[in-house]
Amino acid sequence: MTKKLSRREFIKLAGAGAAVTVLTGCGPAARYVRREPYALMPEYNYNGQSTYYATTCRECPAACGLVVRTMQGRAIKVEGNQRNPVNLGKTCARGQASLHGLYNPDRIRNPLKQAGRGSGNFSDLDWEAAIQVVSAALKENRPSEIAFLLGLAPDHLFDLVNDLTKAIGAPAPVRFGALSMFESRVTLSQAAQNLFGKAGLPYFDIGRADLVFSFGANFLETWLSPVAYTRGYSQMRKGQSTRRRGTLIQFEARMSQTGAVADEWIPVRPGTEGLVALALGRLVAEISGAPLPKAFAGVDVAAAAAESGIPEETLHRLAKQYADATNPLAIPGGAALAQSNGLKNAESILALNALAGNLGQPGGLFFSPAAPLPDESHPASLAEMSELIQKLESGQVKALFIHGVNPVFELPKALGFEKALKSVPLVISFATFPDETAMQADYVIPDHHGLESWGYQRALTGAGQPVLSGAQPVVAPYYDTRATADVLLAAAAQAGGKLAEALPFKDEVAYIQSRLLPLVTTPDGPYTAPEINTFLASFQQYGGWWQNGEALTTPVGAPLEKTLAPGVAEAHGKGEFFLLSFVSPVLGEAGANKPWLQEIPDPTTTVMWNSWLEIHPAAADELGLHDDDVVRVVSEAGSVELPVYRYPAIRPDTIAIPFGQGHSAYGRYAQGRGVNPLDLVYPALNEAGDLALAGMKVRLEKTGRKQTLARLESRMGVYGEDEH
Amino acid sequence: MTAQAQPISHAHEGHHPDPREHLMLDPKPRGEMNAMVMEAMHATSWKFWVVAAFLGLVVLICLFGAWGYMIMEGLGVAGVNRPSYWGIFLVNTVFWIGISHAGTFVSALLRVFKAEFRRPFTRAAELMTTFGLVQAGMSIFMHMGRVWLSYWMFPFPNQRQLWTNFHSPLMWDFLAINTYLLASTMYLFLPLIPDLAMARDRSTGWRKALYRILALGFRGTEGEWTHLRHALGIFAFAILPVMFSVHTIVSWDFAVAMRPGWNSTIFGPYFVIGALHSGIAAVAMVLIVVRATMKNMKYFIRPEHFDALGKLMLIVSMAWAYFFFNDYMVQWYGGDKWTDALLHFHEAGPLGWMWFGMLICNVAIPWLTLWNKKVRTTPGLLFTIGLLINVGMWFERYIIVPISLTINRMPFTWREYVPGIEVPLGIGTLAFFILLYMIASKLVPLVPVWEVQEGQMAHSLRKFGKETVVTVSDLE
Amino acid sequence: MAENTIKIPEFKAEWKEGEAGRWGMVIDTDLCTGCQACVAACAMENNIPFVGETDAAYGRSMHWLRVERFWEGEYPEVRTTDFQPVLCQQCGAAPCEPVCPVFASVHSQAEQINLQVYNRCVGTRYCANNCPYQVRVFNWRDWERPEPLNNQLNPDVTVRRRGIMEKCTFCIQRIHKAEDQAKAEGREVADGEVIPACAQVCPADAIVFGRLDDPESRVSQLAKSKRGVQLLEELGTQPRVTYLKGA
Repeated sequence: MTKKLSRREFIKLAGAGAAVTVLTGCGPAARYVRREPYALMPEYNYNGQSTYYATTCRECPAACGLVVRTMQGRAIKVEGNQRNPVNLGKTCARGQASLHGLYNPDRIRNPLKQAGRGSGNFSDLDWEAAIQVVSAALKENRPSEIAFLLGLAPDHLFDLVNDLTKAIGAPAPVRFGALSMFESRVTLSQAAQNLFGKAGLPYFDIGRADLVFSFGANFLETWLSPVAYTRGYSQMRKGQSTRRRGTLIQFEARMSQTGAVADEWIPVRPGTEGLVALALGRLVAEISGAPLPKAFAGVDVAAAAAESGIPEETLHRLAKQYADATNPLAIPGGAALAQSNGLKNAESILALNALAGNLGQPGGLFFSPAAPLPDESHPASLAEMSELIQKLESGQVKALFIHGVNPVFELPKALGFEKALKSVPLVISFATFPDETAMQADYVIPDHHGLESWGYQRALTGAGQPVLSGAQPVVAPYYDTRATADVLLAAAAQAGGKLAEALPFKDEVAYIQSRLLPLVTTPDGPYTAPEINTFLASFQQYGGWWQNGEALTTPVGAPLEKTLAPGVAEAHGKGEFFLLSFVSPVLGEAGANKPWLQEIPDPTTTVMWNSWLEIHPAAADELGLHDDDVVRVVSEAGSVELPVYRYPAIRPDTIAIPFGQGHSAYGRYAQGRGVNPLDLVYPALNEAGDLALAGMKVRLEKTGRKQTLARLESRMGVYGEDEH
Repeated sequence: MTAQAQPISHAHEGHHPDPREHLMLDPKPRGEMNAMVMEAMHATSWKFWVVAAFLGLVVLICLFGAWGYMIMEGLGVAGVNRPSYWGIFLVNTVFWIGISHAGTFVSALLRVFKAEFRRPFTRAAELMTTFGLVQAGMSIFMHMGRVWLSYWMFPFPNQRQLWTNFHSPLMWDFLAINTYLLASTMYLFLPLIPDLAMARDRSTGWRKALYRILALGFRGTEGEWTHLRHALGIFAFAILPVMFSVHTIVSWDFAVAMRPGWNSTIFGPYFVIGALHSGIAAVAMVLIVVRATMKNMKYFIRPEHFDALGKLMLIVSMAWAYFFFNDYMVQWYGGDKWTDALLHFHEAGPLGWMWFGMLICNVAIPWLTLWNKKVRTTPGLLFTIGLLINVGMWFERYIIVPISLTINRMPFTWREYVPGIEVPLGIGTLAFFILLYMIASKLVPLVPVWEVQEGQMAHSLRKFGKETVVTVSDLE
Repeated sequence: MAENTIKIPEFKAEWKEGEAGRWGMVIDTDLCTGCQACVAACAMENNIPFVGETDAAYGRSMHWLRVERFWEGEYPEVRTTDFQPVLCQQCGAAPCEPVCPVFASVHSQAEQINLQVYNRCVGTRYCANNCPYQVRVFNWRDWERPEPLNNQLNPDVTVRRRGIMEKCTFCIQRIHKAEDQAKAEGREVADGEVIPACAQVCPADAIVFGRLDDPESRVSQLAKSKRGVQLLEELGTQPRVTYLKGA
């Protein structure tokens, strides 16, 4: 329960913040440890008293604010920060389970040196030696030979590394995350650029819409900012006195959790989403009687219906619905964009919004507000990742630093990241958990867990105003880990020269303070402060800084004047089934090591603790597959074996596998459990350079084995083949 | 109340059977009979020890070993789950209580009705009651999640004023089973006294010491006999309602619950009849084994007894079939959709073979065979039929407990039950039952000699002209 | 009767037919997205152990709260029923209470909800059999919780051992905390002051909790909705959880 902060607590928190800024002399550890006689019992040590700390969730990059309940120095419960505009006091399941990451029994406990990559033969390293390693790597390699690969969170570390690489003239850090790959964020941003002349993530005002056409956008699961969009969905469903309950129509080949709550699920053939959008646009334009915009002129409705597998009457009915709606909204989601024609699909779907005239209107399409701090990062497309991999492979990179991302697991195997690492003489991982990438590193210099860390994260989208979500340690670090920012600063100081000059900060917090400085004087925030120390105290207490008013911007341009011809995506590979891999709604990309997340049933299949293959019962019957039969899925990139779940809501020509399991490392709860569908993915790209993930064809082979999936739902009587 | 002792009738007209095939009409001198019973008790072949040792081992491993392991690990090693929270433990509980029923039934009810054929095997039946109850009690304790706290079921005064819930059918059950155990043990012991005194007078060593204590100084005076008969008369009447109530109350564990298929008003008599069905079959089985393995028993236990028990089995099977049918009748006009689903699930579910097996064993086989006197009097056949009836009745309990629990009003939670450690534990209880019985057969006279003698004294053959007529004098 | 007769506790509270009850919940299944955040929050708040794949597959998972859904219709008109979170319905006339031989399942007079007294439970599992909603879960084992995961345990909630039944408590520890706070400040507990973990986390705001006996409270307003239904109403258990069904 988020308490209303009393004056007393405010002073307490502010005091803690102030103390922190004063006591910086003894190095970073002093941030957390104050040595005082025990006669002065700290308030957080009283029996039965909880202390609440505001911080930022690091389970995905959406920048949801958390308030963590702690008791006697232990984190007890994660709750949403009610003030943070992104999540307004709510969290998702992954956020809740982040404590199982913090107290995970398989965390890396101290710096390690690995003798032989992948050998698991680790020896302990002291911190001095670890910093020495980093420092030497920075100093002794030419700047162009240094590469940083960072995750999508945290932002402050990216900013610091960005400053560092700039200072020494090294290539800018590359940011990657499986979520951005699965959601084709680059494509979405590129489509916005093409249509409205401005790159960036659009903001979809679902809350005020009354009809939403979602083309595979799983916005209730993991898409962009799921907690914020779920709130929007809830507002849409509730309606308001002036507005009826909004309707959601989901176009996707496999019914996702979002599709499951939709009023209608339209099983569209993968790769024809853009075509469907254009056909709908044309019909809508015809219904409204306006002259047919150029964008929709080139489409043949009957052909689109035939290609997509949606009956023409259905298209007409839906178009009527769209035309009749007051605030219709069309959302392009990941699967529609992860196609060879993904960019065109995105443009076609976004154009539906322009047709409805909802650009910048309530319930319509906006641009997400710019973050309060300048943002020089963007998620890397797969094309950029391939570039990086080529650089690694050609031996141009002598030292690779990896933080916050697990590329060995999160990139398609066929892309060859793991192989390319062999050509890099020095790989340093800052992983908190022993993930697959850490297992391929020479040194593992563990960062704190996100809940033990300082930092900030820009909200990409999800809130109507610019949001910078602040992070602070809610507990003292449990193990002998160290903030990567501190490690880099210490290494830079040790290296001296340009490096030390560029990063003259005592520690991470000093760096964060320096970054926050411009905000102290920015008006329209939730609090005011005369100077940075007071500001930082409020920043910690509020869990960040955001502007009070809405700052959504209206897309401009003439998207309807553009000729759009997405056509049908070409599929890669041979086989009778489209392969659809989707991010597990519960596990996300990095939840597999949290035992309680493993035990949470998948919303649509209720499977726990494993991977499964979704196949239409009719298709399964044809192949003679029953529930729990293990099948081998073969693509041109590889093959995996996993048990079948006969899924009634998937196209018969499509199979689906969730992404999230299939770890070969990552702790006892993740390791050796399920399969990774990315092992099957052939790295074909779309025009924007994103992975054409959904345009794969695969075939199935029976293995004759059986493996019982742990399902929460009943296996008898009411479902599937056991019905009697 | 004053039912007349019925003379044993002639089997078939014109057949001229030898009346001496009836035990009551085939008297032996008192001393000889006593000696026969003592010999049966004393004569122990090596086979006995082999079997006893084997059973002891089974009990040690399957019962106490497995139970200890389960207590340490938790019930996860058993097959119980959601929604089948009760599994074979409760099946066995009901089953053993059913077995225990027949002992009292045979002994007390037939005593009350003065059915003369009961005399030689009342003891054997009563022993079954007591030992069956021991297994039932153990099965119930196994089933508890925290068996080490089972004494909390006793309503004992304590400082914290924690009390037991007398609204709970389990509490009724607990009290009823305890009452029944106490009553049936006393009822076993009372008619044992004269035989123990007989044994005391004919043994030496530790046996003499043991029997002296147990015989309570019984000397056979007229006063003692009067007291004994009086007490038995009271007990035989008093224990009958207890017996009927126990199984009725056991059925209430189910009938009171808010579950489709359980919530039925006929469960009381249905369970009682079911108990008799398995129990009488078990009595017959025990008698057949006793007759075949123990010395001199062929004299005491005769085809006429099997014949009588076989008839009882047939009748009880018919009664059971009626109640079984009734279950469907009630549903037919009750029309609860969940019960409907459940009853359908019984025969069409994955364990439908068990349902059919139950009907074959409990109805088809007894009805097709037991009408024939040849079958009834052939020990091997009767044993097989008795065994099948017990299997069928075990199936019935299995269908009532875990299979019915599979289905409830929340279809999302339906789930099958797969037994785990219950299987060795169930085998353990069976072994323990047999072991206890074997030990008892060596410690107490398995045939109530005095009752047989009493019966034989009352019966006599007289000749009227060419006709031999059985006459029975009333004893009291 | 003597003056100092020991009062034997009764198994049921003094509920009356049609009485509102005290604490109650409304779940809007039209808003529920099935995201399972409530399940996670419940597990974290209430120290619910995880059981692992084998036991979870065998129906032994310890979820106090589960989200049900069924498949309906044939492709392509197939759909799931609305996601329906099912938790202890805190029945006014609870079938689990009378059957417990040792009063481990009791009705609390103060909160008028159904409590499970872990210390008293001997594990007969009769309550779970008798629960028409199948929301009681049993500790089939001492579930493994390797160090340092135990650091996360909520000190306000008992950690249960093997052989004990458990179930949703409406986060009674939070009710008590709010009541203590209100009492210390000399006021009534305000509407919305007590929020169980599931309602607190729900991103769709589908779960509302509060006082049913306060006609002004949000929960009692919502419970009166025409869309309101109770699970297995026909059994007369008087559940304190109302589901808002339909659009």
